Amino acid sequence: MDNVATHEDWKVCFPQFAPGLLLFARQWLRSPADAEDVVQEAFVRFWRRNHNVENRALLYATVRSIALDFVRRDSRRARREADASSETAGSVGPQFEQLDDSQQPLATAVDRLPLDQREVLVMKIWDELTFAEIATALGISQNTAASRYRYALVALKKSLQPQ
Amino acid sequence: MNDFSELENELKKLRPAPPSPELFLRVERALADVTKENESADNVVRPERFRVNWVSLGLGLAAAAVLLIVARIEINRPAKQVPPVASLTPVPRAKPGAINNQLVPAGFTQVVYNMRDEGLHFADGLDQPMRRVRYQTHETLQWRNAATGASLRVSYPSEQVELIPVSGQ
Repeated sequence: MDNVATHEDWKVCFPQFAPGLLLFARQWLRSPADAEDVVQEAFVRFWRRNHNVENRALLYATVRSIALDFVRRDSRRARREADASSETAGSVGPQFEQLDDSQQPLATAVDRLPLDQREVLVMKIWDELTFAEIATALGISQNTAASRYRYALVALKKSLQPQ
Repeated sequence: MNDFSELENELKKLRPAPPSPELFLRVERALADVTKENESADNVVRPERFRVNWVSLGLGLAAAAVLLIVARIEINRPAKQVPPVASLTPVPRAKPGAINNQLVPAGFTQVVYNMRDEGLHFADGLDQPMRRVRYQTHETLQWRNAATGASLRVSYPSEQVELIPVSGQ
């Protein structure tokens, strides 16, 4: 195995991937610090075993797996996350920087999406994964990934329409 | 262009929050720790007892496989066809004072796992027909060194054919 610490590519890759990975991890973890812990562990594990950054599906699958383990590890935390991920709680999901007034309703609508739709949307929009990569990361078919993405867009459009 | 292209563009305008500056340093430190672990793992001299002896392992697995096959054949045989399945010679007792540093025969086990009656057979030069019975067995010989406690065991399959005179009635 290459010497990972002196393998300088990670210093190029990580800043590029980190915001999207954090956004992805924040779907399960309310605390930004927890999400950063998960991203750190996932990236280090990924980089140790697979230097091929083209395999983004594996990187996201690693983040997802570690995030879910993180949630399960503490039952109190798990209850809190389950409560937070309910439809009424909202605000567990993606966190964005410097929202203006026109963007706030859209960010809120994204937060309120069901988790299975939201994770596909996050990977597709902000991480620019293909449906094939999303399907690999989530262990679902490409058709399922595409339909969840479409359902998410339909739900967002509906929630943004004036009542 | 699909119906959602405008919505997708609006979504892309939302920028994910950047990670904290410490995260980059933490990842760098973690990767450095991994390197140290790898280097220290490379320097560990592992005791000989933890190394796998592949030849012994292979022989052991082969012996286990043979025993499993024999056991399966034995299970599948109807009970009424099973002759006396095994014989064991008594372990010879070493005479007092006769212990020396040699392997001496310590036992013989014969397991009959199949018997087939092949019917009447007319052997050359004999007027009387003979019934031919074929036995398939598994025999084990064992030697033991009383001085060192070492033992040697050899197992092999064998086949015996027995001709039984048939009396005419």
